[in-house]
Amino acid sequence: MKASIEWLNEYADINIEPKELGDILTMTGSKVETIESQGEDIQNVVVGKILEVKPHIDSDHLVVTKVDVGNGEILQIVTGAKNIKEGDVVPIAKDGSKLPGGVEIKTGKLRGVDSCGMMCSVGELGLDIHNYPDQIENGIMILKPELEKELGKDIKEVLGINQTVIDFEITPNRPDCFSVEGLGREVAVSLNVPFKNPRKNIDQMSVKDVDNIDGLTVEITAPDLCYRYIARVVKNVKIAPSPEWMVKRLNSCGVRAINNIVDITNYVMLEMGQPMHAFDINSIEGKHITVRRANKDEKIITLDDQERNLNENMLVIADSKKPVAIAGVMGGQNSEIEPTTQTVVFESAVFYGGSVRKTAKAVGLRTEASSRYEKGLSSENALRAINRAVELVELIGAGEAVDGKIDVYPTKQKIARIPLNVDRINLLLGTNLSKEEMIKTLEKLEIKVENNEVIPPYFRPDIEQLADVAEEVLRFYGYDKLGITLINAETTLGGKNKEQKIADSVSEYLVNSGLSEICTYGFLSEKDLAKCNIEGDNEYLTEAVKIQNPLSEDYTVMKTTSVPTMMQTLATNNNYKNKDVKLFDLSRVYRNKKGSIESGNLPEESNILTIGMYSEKEDFYTLKGLVENLLEVAGLQRYDVRKEKENKMYHPGRCANFNVGTDVIATIGEANPLLTRNYDITQRVLLAEINIDKLTKYARKSQKYVQITKFPAVERDISMVLNEEIEVGEIEKIIQKKAKKLLEEAQLFDVYRSEKLGENKKSVAYSLKFRVPDRTLTDDEINSVMKEIIAELEKSLGAELRK
Amino acid sequence: MKEQIAQIKEKALNEIQNAKDAKALDDVRIKYLGKKGELTLILRGMGGLSPEERPVIGSLVNEVRDELETKIEAGEKHFANLEIEKKLATENIDVTMPSKKSSLGSVHPITQIINDVKEIFIGMGYEIADGPEVELAEYNFDKLNTPPDHPARDVQDTFYITDDIVLRSQTSPVQARVMETKKPPIKIICPGAVYRSDSVDATHSPVFHQIEGLVIDKNISMADLKGTLDMFAKKCLGEKTLVRFRPHHFPFTEPSAEADVSCFVCGGKGCRVCKGEGWIELLGCGMVHPNVLRNCGIDPEEYSGFAFGFGVERIAMAKFGIDDMRLLYENDVRFLKQF
Repeated sequence: MKASIEWLNEYADINIEPKELGDILTMTGSKVETIESQGEDIQNVVVGKILEVKPHIDSDHLVVTKVDVGNGEILQIVTGAKNIKEGDVVPIAKDGSKLPGGVEIKTGKLRGVDSCGMMCSVGELGLDIHNYPDQIENGIMILKPELEKELGKDIKEVLGINQTVIDFEITPNRPDCFSVEGLGREVAVSLNVPFKNPRKNIDQMSVKDVDNIDGLTVEITAPDLCYRYIARVVKNVKIAPSPEWMVKRLNSCGVRAINNIVDITNYVMLEMGQPMHAFDINSIEGKHITVRRANKDEKIITLDDQERNLNENMLVIADSKKPVAIAGVMGGQNSEIEPTTQTVVFESAVFYGGSVRKTAKAVGLRTEASSRYEKGLSSENALRAINRAVELVELIGAGEAVDGKIDVYPTKQKIARIPLNVDRINLLLGTNLSKEEMIKTLEKLEIKVENNEVIPPYFRPDIEQLADVAEEVLRFYGYDKLGITLINAETTLGGKNKEQKIADSVSEYLVNSGLSEICTYGFLSEKDLAKCNIEGDNEYLTEAVKIQNPLSEDYTVMKTTSVPTMMQTLATNNNYKNKDVKLFDLSRVYRNKKGSIESGNLPEESNILTIGMYSEKEDFYTLKGLVENLLEVAGLQRYDVRKEKENKMYHPGRCANFNVGTDVIATIGEANPLLTRNYDITQRVLLAEINIDKLTKYARKSQKYVQITKFPAVERDISMVLNEEIEVGEIEKIIQKKAKKLLEEAQLFDVYRSEKLGENKKSVAYSLKFRVPDRTLTDDEINSVMKEIIAELEKSLGAELRK
Repeated sequence: MKEQIAQIKEKALNEIQNAKDAKALDDVRIKYLGKKGELTLILRGMGGLSPEERPVIGSLVNEVRDELETKIEAGEKHFANLEIEKKLATENIDVTMPSKKSSLGSVHPITQIINDVKEIFIGMGYEIADGPEVELAEYNFDKLNTPPDHPARDVQDTFYITDDIVLRSQTSPVQARVMETKKPPIKIICPGAVYRSDSVDATHSPVFHQIEGLVIDKNISMADLKGTLDMFAKKCLGEKTLVRFRPHHFPFTEPSAEADVSCFVCGGKGCRVCKGEGWIELLGCGMVHPNVLRNCGIDPEEYSGFAFGFGVERIAMAKFGIDDMRLLYENDVRFLKQF
């Protein structure tokens, strides 16, 4: 919301610099965005009067003029302008003057004749031609003849383009501050000076209620969306430009002047925060205004010449046949004020903010009016506004007021009454203010305190409960005076939970192992999944959570796996030719299991650690070691490692799951070559996904000391030939099963293949270490166990024992 | 016999003296002190001596034996030392040659800020709370005093999954969930990713991280909030950091404030980072709105509380001097390894 210092001065005397005012207002809650000084780039341009116009001896299109620029100074100026004549008062840029756009004017010769300055057009002064309807675009600006008295005076002062305008950021709870009046109140209280209230007469004005004005009637059929509708009529209207003072003020707020009636509606909106509308009474068919929901497929052409489609959720102002305005958004072309308009109906209404907001969005029109309505306006203010509009009509001689108002007011504005609990406010703020101090502040804000009840004024519907009152007290006590205290309450322990600790310790382990943490978006596209070989009825696709309004087609679904973002990140690094890239990502994945979302429930979210790397130095087994250590760091001791052939993202021959029972804790392996091809990575990529939630479920940190045994271990080696496809894990399982508690360790120490062994055969050798904590094992015991192991290896795996 | 012993002694000492290495010394030991050594033989031959002579000769032999042993040991030690010196002379290395090590990884700058903040608040007795990122609109909005027609719920700002399920646009729904399930005193911070429909550029991202704090108990005041943030700012940004409150508005707090900190780059003198203001906007905060407390089943007459929240990326960018937010999500290892 913009407001000029000049306009604000009407409400409170401002005797400080704009910058200081801005700082004070920022600290009381009206944050200043910018302070703009208009006309800063216009220098040494003055009012001049053309004394004579003579032809140029050497040119047909130039003329030589003599101009009086005051103080007895007469300048000779050569110009090509066609719209000037002797006696005209015009803006003169003197020698050494500056104009917007960095233009400098200097004395010079035009076709051999001295020219000591320049006459200026509206555009050359940086002004908008629309605000000066009397002027022409390609000619000199002709000032009013009475300005002859002001010869030599700075043009900025004369045209009122020397204003300082403050742009405020208004928070949505303060629609009253979307007006100069509201800001004026804040200025007065902030500077601790009286609020001058120039609208006292309006506050006291009484206009009688009537059912109809010259046959015009009003009806609200949607009282849930329209709380109040007031209409007044002015007749004998003469449509003309507005007076300069009004144009200046409209301009200072960034609003363009149009004609006196339209300007009055805008002026009142800026002054009082209440949007207004004006219709030509002749355009209201049946002389009956209905505030109703639009009909399905109804259409209206709005004032900006656009056709808008309406529906039953939108509120319109209609005559007996058609909508004439979209309520709170914009008027219709069919009821527009025309140069010939003679009788005008002013509307001042209050609509439900939520509905105006939705309608404005739906038709794609966010206007000054709709942005005020959507914050919720005071119904009491609506009456003041319409009376002010009519007052202005008479003040500027635009027409004559017709007595009486039609005021349909089905839902009265509620005024809160809040018990004043001084102790509670002090407790909430951490202050020690007396009741009197609080009341003093509140009364400055026109908030009454009666019988220990706080009663906010009509223009502050935002004050609803004690916390709101506390904020008002604090704003003017001073946020900067608030103390710095420490919480005086029950001691709490604080800290991280088990999962957070595990996440932290595995991250630390990975960083110490040379991996860098990455940060990625939670969403991706179905194309990204397809690049990772996830298509068709794959659960990673069918369980993806879809976004209704994605930012772009790159981000349509939530991640079901972080592999695509990991692959993309590896590809980016590969493009940068970064070598030995090792990364991890600790983030969420989201799965819509069993139509959870469709039944109104949230999808399943899991915390997944994803590892991705490419490096000449790493292979499946270094990754396996990394993950094994990681699980140990987290406190997971027992798990099975099983081959995984079904996961589409991994190499089917080089992928494993780490299981606890049927729960998959981790999947590790080489990326399927389809992925590396799709992402243009020529090296093998290693991937691992570790479910931190499940890991947390099974992790246990054993803290008990186990005595170190004093008895010696017995070692035996065992070597066998078996078929290539048999995994060593199966051998280990048999050894463990048969050796039971005697086995301390079984270590694979050799695998080899040779022609001698035969095709599809391999030799595998283990070193077994036996030991029990309470005695020395005998040879007989070991021999019998070894026999059992060998027998089972031969039987189950067809192993040939080598001696 | 005494003479014989003296001769053996002299001979042996001479040989010890002339021994060239440890092996020669060992030979001397065997020759005189071994099982069949000359001195040993004398001891053995003592049977023929008179009872008076026996102890005299015996102690003389032992005396000589001890002396020889000591000398031989000293000699052995000497040769061992020589051996080590020789080894040292040949094993000189260039310590400035490159080391053999596995390189270290790195913690993402966003995580680093989150970790720093966590540590500070854990020290003040806070727990770390967590909640869903795909969230019910009820928790993201309604319970936080943002009713269905509120502008914050616009489709331009929020990603919708269904009309009732959204990607959380703030970490505040975690607060609502904690308030519903836990009785005061509550002291939590909730860090996490949030989603807003902003296009990607140097200062915007549709995904970013927030940290919110919430304290609910009896007698919690706005001055406590300022004190807490003051302590946090001093620990996180430097001991000299000052905190300033400005009035503001948020639907879920009342009174609300924006907190600025004195610029941690220039110390408040004014620089490029603080745009010459000397202050940097740090976070939004306030006293938890009574409607929010009520919506979450806490009696605002009995309890009060404060909440604050800030964007992690902004702090990370200011603190580390990162000028483009996209760097944080591109994950180029040449960027990551700087942290």
